[in-house]
Amino acid sequence: MNPEGLHTGLIETLSLSLVITSVAAVEMRRLKFSIVAYLCQALLIVGLLLSFASVNKALYWWAATAFVTKVVLTPWFLFRAIRGVDDRETKPVIGFGPSAVIVALLMMGFFRLTHSGAALLSPTGMGQLGVFRTNLAVASTVFALGLYTVLTRRDAIKAVIGLCLLENGVHLSLVSLAPGLPETALFGVATEVVVTVFLLLYVIGGVRQVFGSTDTFRLRELRW
Amino acid sequence: MPGEALTETSFLPAAVFLLPLLAGVIVISATRTHRALQQWISVLTMALVTGLGTWMAYRILRGFVLTTWHRELRVDALSALMVVIIGGIGLLASVYSARYIEERVTEGPAARRTSTFYGLLLWFLGTMLWGCVTNNVIMLYVAIEATTLTSGLLVAFYWDRRALEAGYKYLMLLTIGITFALFGCVLLYAGAAATNKLDGGSALLISDIRHVVPFIPSGTAAITIAFLVIGFGTKAGIAPFHPWLPDAHAEAPTPISVLLSGVMIKMSLYALARTVSIFYPAWPQVTIFLVALGTFTMLLGIILALTQNDLKRLLAYSSVSQMGYVLVGIGLGTYLGCYGGLFHLLNHALCKSLLFMCVGAVMYATGARRISELGGLRSQMPIASACYFVGALALAGFPPLNGFWSKLTIYLALAKAGLWWAAGIAILASILTMVVMVRAGYKVFWGNQPSGAASLGFREVPARMYVPMMILAVISVLVGIFPQAPYPLLDRAAGVLATLGR
Repeated sequence: MNPEGLHTGLIETLSLSLVITSVAAVEMRRLKFSIVAYLCQALLIVGLLLSFASVNKALYWWAATAFVTKVVLTPWFLFRAIRGVDDRETKPVIGFGPSAVIVALLMMGFFRLTHSGAALLSPTGMGQLGVFRTNLAVASTVFALGLYTVLTRRDAIKAVIGLCLLENGVHLSLVSLAPGLPETALFGVATEVVVTVFLLLYVIGGVRQVFGSTDTFRLRELRW
Repeated sequence: MPGEALTETSFLPAAVFLLPLLAGVIVISATRTHRALQQWISVLTMALVTGLGTWMAYRILRGFVLTTWHRELRVDALSALMVVIIGGIGLLASVYSARYIEERVTEGPAARRTSTFYGLLLWFLGTMLWGCVTNNVIMLYVAIEATTLTSGLLVAFYWDRRALEAGYKYLMLLTIGITFALFGCVLLYAGAAATNKLDGGSALLISDIRHVVPFIPSGTAAITIAFLVIGFGTKAGIAPFHPWLPDAHAEAPTPISVLLSGVMIKMSLYALARTVSIFYPAWPQVTIFLVALGTFTMLLGIILALTQNDLKRLLAYSSVSQMGYVLVGIGLGTYLGCYGGLFHLLNHALCKSLLFMCVGAVMYATGARRISELGGLRSQMPIASACYFVGALALAGFPPLNGFWSKLTIYLALAKAGLWWAAGIAILASILTMVVMVRAGYKVFWGNQPSGAASLGFREVPARMYVPMMILAVISVLVGIFPQAPYPLLDRAAGVLATLGR
């Protein structure tokens, strides 16, 4: 593998746009737009994988799998889940203003932390290179934003979108951490996320039927 | 010791998990078949799996290690022990489920879905078995996440308010938790690959990674261990990552509770032990961290169990506490500790399955599960009552039942390691377990019938429910009287984990 052949400029641009789509997916109040933001992010990930694939052929498979699971299936399931219902998100715990500040702080914090501490995460010499450091930093930022969404959003569907972001973060990091991972492992990892999203949305459909909304604050039968 | 064992290529490791997966496909796609046929298929499949597991254990005791598919699947004594436990408990739970499902799931949206129930049950067991036989660190994560997916709908099976809430929390929290394990597994692989001592493919195999672990940089190792403990610990019900556990274990149909508490959390702890134990020789400070986490878990679990009025939630919190004992034992990394931890894993699988079955029997007969609504069932349900007390006393470590020996081994291992504070907490938690379990049993089976409760016409449950209970109770007593019976297999299994030596 020869990292010299990478289009560094393109990769940096795609990576930064990816962070922006994450913020959009987190902060959009209409679930429809949030899903569209997620869809854009998925396309960017496929683009990013393709540009890394010029030096690592195995990533073509990874890109194809990501296209099917992240660009086609996951948004399709999400759109199906909000079809025919009011797609305005249940008011989150943290309002727009403070949330934007927290998101900005998370982004800066995680980006800097991972960018400087990449050696710990990726002990290979390759992980020290600029592009891979950026990749790891973006991955951890997306992961952190996803976790933040899951933890603070009341709407179950928004929490699922957060979960998808979180998984995207992990999958992005595989490009730098585990470039030699066999296709079967990648396929297993990617498929599982789609199945998880499908099952979660299926259960949330039941929650909407029985509880009348997807507000997770209403799920309070089970305490202690 | 594993390094000296002869490797034998065998189809058994593949057969043992493909069989339930295939049977699951048949059952789930044949929706119109008679319910009895679905039940027979699951019982026969699990009987076959138990047989294959026992045969593998026999081969391993003869000094072999079984592998398939270029060592992608590898069964040593530890894996064989887990396969036998999963197979045996799975078999008994399938038998037990027959009448339980017939009685409880005759109405409502769940009634038409018994083929889904048995199909998912088989897949659930199949994915757990897969996790125990795989040697690939990424596939270990895939298998464990697959157990979450196959059991998610089983937890929410009743599709009412409580079940849906439990199912949502279960899927959401476990998926987030297990994602940390994916990070951990990937880092383990990346760290092993970066040592340049293994070629690409074998850096994925846990049996090969263990040889190069000392060369992984300590910063990377620390992050890897933290992620693995958070990820697999969440699924194993280790505090403070346990909040999903009481909801899911209490709201699932009882045969599923038996499997969740009896085997699933153990299978995740197996994954934790399998991956983290390879770090002990190079970083022995990990063991103190795991022992501290384990003692915290056992104490918090039993304190929360003290406050419960719901029998199934009480048992679920007690499972959290008991997983603390297993973690303390395995976390010590010494032979004695690992032996005690694995012995307790086996004993807890027996006792907790038994207790969940007893509580299921009480629910089946009376329709109630709150302690305050129950009382005086001793004369109407003598078998369930006797089985409950065997399970409760064994769980609390009352001599000469099986739980006593495993807990004693753990106390001795802690004392030998000089961790007297941990031994003290473990004994305290054990006394509290006795209080919790016996108090609940006394009120339900011996106490006065609460005024305003339903009529006294309760009867003992049918044979297909009490026979599995009696089998588990008899095994518990026999293992207590002959604690040397499981020694050959446990000895070799502990040898795999005891990387700090004897």
